[in-house]
Amino acid sequence: MTVWQPMDDGHADLASHDTFAKGPPHNTFARLRREDPVHWSEWSGGRGFWSITRHADILELNRQFDAFSSAQGIRMEDQTREEYLARRTFQETDPPEHMKTRIKVAKAFSKPVIAGFEGQIRDLTQEILDRALAQDEFDATREIARQLPMRLLGRIIGVPDADLPWLVEKGDALIANTDPDFTDHVLDRMDTDEFRLMPFNSPAGAELWEYAQALMAEKNRKGDTDGVLHMILQPDRDGNVISELEFRNFFCLLVAAGNDTTRYSIAAGIQALAHQPELLGQMRAGGDIWETAPDEIIRWATPALYFRRTATRDYELHGKTIRAGDKVLFWWVSGNRDERVFDDPFRVDLARAPNPHLSFGKGGPHLCLGMHLARLEVKVLFEELARRVRSVTPAGPHEFLRSNFVGGIKRLPVRVETL
Amino acid sequence: MKVTWRLADGREISADATAGETLKDAALAAGVPHILGECGGSMSCATCHVVLPPEWAEKAGPPGEFEDAILDTTEAPRQATSRLSCQIEMHPGLDGLTLIVPEP
Repeated sequence: MTVWQPMDDGHADLASHDTFAKGPPHNTFARLRREDPVHWSEWSGGRGFWSITRHADILELNRQFDAFSSAQGIRMEDQTREEYLARRTFQETDPPEHMKTRIKVAKAFSKPVIAGFEGQIRDLTQEILDRALAQDEFDATREIARQLPMRLLGRIIGVPDADLPWLVEKGDALIANTDPDFTDHVLDRMDTDEFRLMPFNSPAGAELWEYAQALMAEKNRKGDTDGVLHMILQPDRDGNVISELEFRNFFCLLVAAGNDTTRYSIAAGIQALAHQPELLGQMRAGGDIWETAPDEIIRWATPALYFRRTATRDYELHGKTIRAGDKVLFWWVSGNRDERVFDDPFRVDLARAPNPHLSFGKGGPHLCLGMHLARLEVKVLFEELARRVRSVTPAGPHEFLRSNFVGGIKRLPVRVETL
Repeated sequence: MKVTWRLADGREISADATAGETLKDAALAAGVPHILGECGGSMSCATCHVVLPPEWAEKAGPPGEFEDAILDTTEAPRQATSRLSCQIEMHPGLDGLTLIVPEP
């Protein structure tokens, strides 16, 4: 049994957030990979865009950061120069500028440093599962998937546990700014112009900024120099320090990106367990499966559906000419289901190897900074879950986020039988 | 031009590399274990870490500023002659080079 159900007629509107509220339009992506791998879409909300849908093409273009720049925004929406400068993080810069920021925090997210968190991740997972599995039926996104990244974020940033629900609510309002479940200021449904210089066009950006300022003042008062926020504030070799604006945007990026992506990987993994019952047994057997299972779950989930680039020069591909200045969307979610690369791509194969999935932005300079943390969280969570649970079955239909940018199951009712 | 990778278990893999090709690309083409190159050669990941024998380290030169910083994030501990192999381009002076592939 495959987990995937056809949800669209092959001609879905990729610019519409409503399309993705029914799950990624996989029939449309399959058709585009087959018939029109460099596809132009008009868009009522701004300038049109190109969609790149084949795995090999995404890898090839992602490598060419000089031809496909991140420095005019990474989402579909158009930004003025003023908006770009006010809202950008190092995600929205190109090498070499990107590296100046990245090297300040790279060590904090390196594999050996992240490995040191394993004990804490396991303890948090136990607490979360103790509470969740006390019920027979629950929303697995809310009770499990949302909990672990949120609690861990607190440890990494160094904030009190009591503040975490508020922080995560604000992080959700930023990154899920097209879903009315998560924000009162839905990006494409109302005028968000007064917030246009705030991160993600959202007033939550301003609230997070005030929080970050107070947090750092408190840390300075106590002489607390632990954590990634302190690292980002250190001068580089030339004595340059990050501006207040850049710090605010970096903090918002951590709270938003460090939080919902792993949540939706975990949710997609639990959904897979509910639809492919053999997976739990494979997990329980353990062994080598844990070398490959986390990446397969993260391929299956693809929480970042696309990142946008902007062409800096004319570029020919498959008989189409992408013009300088055109927006180009790399659809990771489509590359991750490309039948040219993945055998039986709509099936979760925990032993899949090699697994050159694109969920972390493989092959380019913006490769996910937190990928080692994401893999470790997913690994530990499913190790512990498989130890305790005999079966997971759906207890109702699951619901997707209304967003063509972040792909995630926001409600996942399940029934569990514990061992 | 010939390049040899020496693995932790003593096994060696040799391959031809062309001038201008990076040693990361040569390793991927030759299927050298532990050389992943996940960021495509843009110094964002440190998964193409190699250690040069002292006699070759000087010929290959020292790491640049960003490479030096990213070498602090390798999985296997950094050594005095560690490099990111995506930042070394093959040239005739490196013909016959041996690279040590460190394992964590």
